[in-house]
Amino acid sequence: MKNLFKSKGFREFLRVLIALAIGITLGFIITLFVSESPIEAYKSFLFGPLTRLNRIGDWLEDSLTLVLVGLAMCIVFTAGQWYIGAEGQMILGALISGVVILFVPLPPALRITLAFVVSAIVGFLWAVVPAFLKAYLNANELITSLMLNTIAIKAFEYFLKYYIMPEGSRTLTSARVPKDLQLPSFIPDIPILSSIRELWMKQTSVSIIVYIAIAAVIAVYYLLYKTPFGYELRTVGSNKKFARYGGININRTVLLAMTVSGIFAGIAGTHLTLAIHNRLIVGMSSGMGFEGVNIAILARLNPLLVPISSLLYGYMRAGAEVMERTTDVSRELVMVIQAVILLLVTAERLMPTIQQRIDHANEGNNINDGKIKGGINDI
Amino acid sequence: MRPLIDLINIDKVYDNGVVANNGVNFSVKKGEIHALVGENGAGKSTLMKILYGMEKPTEGEIWVNGEQKHFNSSTDAIAATIGMVHQNFMLVPSFTVAENVVLGDEPRKNGLIDRDAVLNITKDLSDQFGLFVQPDAIVNSINVGMRQRVEILKTLYRKAEILILDEPTAVLTPQETDDLFIAIRILVKQGKTVIFITHKLREVKEISDRVTVMRHGKMIGTLDTKDVSREQMANMMVGREVFLDIKKPKIKRGEKRMRVKNLSYVSEIGRQLLRNVNFNLYAGEILGIAGVEGNGQTELVEVLTGLKPAAGGTVLIGDCNILESTPREIRLRKIAHIPEDRLSNGVAVRSTIEENIIVDRYFQKPYRNGLFINRKVVKTECENLIEKFSILTPNGKLPVSSLSGGNMQKVVVAREFSSEPEVLIASQPTRGIDVGSTEFIREQLVEIRSKGTAILLVSADLSEVMSVSDRIVALYEGEITGVFPDASKVSEKELGLYMLGVKQQTYEEMEKYL
Repeated sequence: MKNLFKSKGFREFLRVLIALAIGITLGFIITLFVSESPIEAYKSFLFGPLTRLNRIGDWLEDSLTLVLVGLAMCIVFTAGQWYIGAEGQMILGALISGVVILFVPLPPALRITLAFVVSAIVGFLWAVVPAFLKAYLNANELITSLMLNTIAIKAFEYFLKYYIMPEGSRTLTSARVPKDLQLPSFIPDIPILSSIRELWMKQTSVSIIVYIAIAAVIAVYYLLYKTPFGYELRTVGSNKKFARYGGININRTVLLAMTVSGIFAGIAGTHLTLAIHNRLIVGMSSGMGFEGVNIAILARLNPLLVPISSLLYGYMRAGAEVMERTTDVSRELVMVIQAVILLLVTAERLMPTIQQRIDHANEGNNINDGKIKGGINDI
Repeated sequence: MRPLIDLINIDKVYDNGVVANNGVNFSVKKGEIHALVGENGAGKSTLMKILYGMEKPTEGEIWVNGEQKHFNSSTDAIAATIGMVHQNFMLVPSFTVAENVVLGDEPRKNGLIDRDAVLNITKDLSDQFGLFVQPDAIVNSINVGMRQRVEILKTLYRKAEILILDEPTAVLTPQETDDLFIAIRILVKQGKTVIFITHKLREVKEISDRVTVMRHGKMIGTLDTKDVSREQMANMMVGREVFLDIKKPKIKRGEKRMRVKNLSYVSEIGRQLLRNVNFNLYAGEILGIAGVEGNGQTELVEVLTGLKPAAGGTVLIGDCNILESTPREIRLRKIAHIPEDRLSNGVAVRSTIEENIIVDRYFQKPYRNGLFINRKVVKTECENLIEKFSILTPNGKLPVSSLSGGNMQKVVVAREFSSEPEVLIASQPTRGIDVGSTEFIREQLVEIRSKGTAILLVSADLSEVMSVSDRIVALYEGEITGVFPDASKVSEKELGLYMLGVKQQTYEEMEKYL
């Protein structure tokens, strides 16, 4: 029991819980001021996403997108790069998936597979630009990736408007993706499950991306913590000078961090086109590429925690939507709560500092043993 | 006459037990230029930090102008008219010169900063003390000499009467140094008092009225500069020391492992820090570089290990010029490197001990197993090294930040030695670590040398260079000024003269011993 309380994981968990509690309380206090019926409003925020099957579905679908972009951000942040180009990579992934699905004459299974592969490639390649600018011109990746996001979004709109939008259409959308080309439901089509499947599919479109996301989580975990490449990423992120001294090629590592992260952001784009929206539409990412930053930070850059932080974050998104639709409180309030939670989770000193002091004292006694004596060379 | 500054019996013991000042008495007269000299680690900077309120003395009294002072911070010292110009300038690069001068105490008009006054103040001060600056230039765009003048103006704007200059010439070209000296003389003529920290004895002779020498935290003496020669000062600085007794088997010098020819290096801001350096490293021999810090040692090591680009020359391993190679390629040629700055280069403190050990080998068998890193091999190897190098830690999965300085250095040494190098470049291998670890590391150096590794040892600790090395070269201002084929036959005094550029051998004299 003592060990449990002392373990790092448990304390992290406790910290997130405390952050959540404070954030939700604060949110309620604000709701008291802005709403005519604050309790109703808050109830719809806290429990709304669970009240209907289709709302559960929406929550899960958004969470799956968040898992993929969250993983993308884990990779670049682990390498110490403030690269936030996932939005652009995702939107281009969505675009190219749409193009493949709508225009490439292949059988459905192949077409869907091709859409995934091509969007992964596009996400990968799109990061080459900021990576090269960083490596050879020392251009700040934060700025370049942000700029490239804008370029990607505008390119998306351009191609949609002039090449993809069906003639005579009045809205800026593509044709719908035919049913047989949408991602199949995650519930396998076997007799025992058929009634559940039918009920589920009527209300939601949670697709096989579930399995892809799970595989991606495991893959990124292995990539970061078990492979030489992951070692390079982590070392560059931990101390660049040390990495260089040790012989690691920093430019190459940075390039690969950004591009590999693009694979996951690109696949998230496919998910948007082939499962969530089922067509190309302006604003289809609803900013989730940026929310990947929050997901990764909430998960403390640990890929295995990304699904949890995505579900949590996705739940708040979903709750916000329900609250906005059914009450007089707008979703901006939820953004405040999200921000508070994020602040508290990232704050290093949220846990009682006394506990930390005790730990430090213990560590000090065990390891250092008061060994530094004599020698005045370093003054 | 009562001295302007009187530091009486100053002791300073840091929390980690390091004794930086031990019973130091130091006094400065009004209106003089007082040089404070000593080797690195002699305690000069600590003493000045105490006077400037940045450190509190463990014991002792500070008297300024006849009053006893208790400085809690440098703000108190500034109030007592003391100003300090640090070695690393503390300017805001994106502000103008004038803005930097007044920063923290800006002239105001109607609650806003009075921009005209800012410029005028700076201009007036600049004229009054002959410290030429461009008040409206952005600090980013001005050269080092002008930056230094801005620092001095900052202290003058705060009404400093006593100026402490911490190694002001270390970053200057000879021309800039001359300008600085002119400015210092003007300052003194106008009644200011200057304390000038340096280890360049020529400058002491040139500029100072009196000189105080420190060594190993103690005051050796204060003298009138005109009464003391450079040789005497060098002797006082280096002094006699007790050598750590190292058992060294007789040297068995092998083949030439590394040939350095006409190596030169020019820094990013255009200063030539290495000039035509020539030497060879032999298997089974330790070549020591003796020199006061800042005379090109850092650059030499970083060029040899591929971290900085050379401006000219060759470094041959066999027939291959490694100046073209990346750090990884150089390491693959079995050249290991113990870096001078442990915390920024030698380890990644947030990574685990294991991760720090494998940085030069994770991509090779047996540490790599197909697609993955072989955790088991890493763990076993790390445990072996922890035991062999007596690294004090419960296990290898802890971050390096949990270790003491000496144990961190053992992690570095364990990694570099276990790579079985043919050439080892060791820079300040025992700096700032405890006696036990120091001894251990020196023994290890001698041991791998006796097994045939060629070692280049760079150290600011002269006694270390002399006791560990087999052969010594002296480096002064990026040039080799002397070579001593048998380290045991050279005196510190003699070596000191070459390190400080007082004496110099010709290339012909040196050639056959390099």
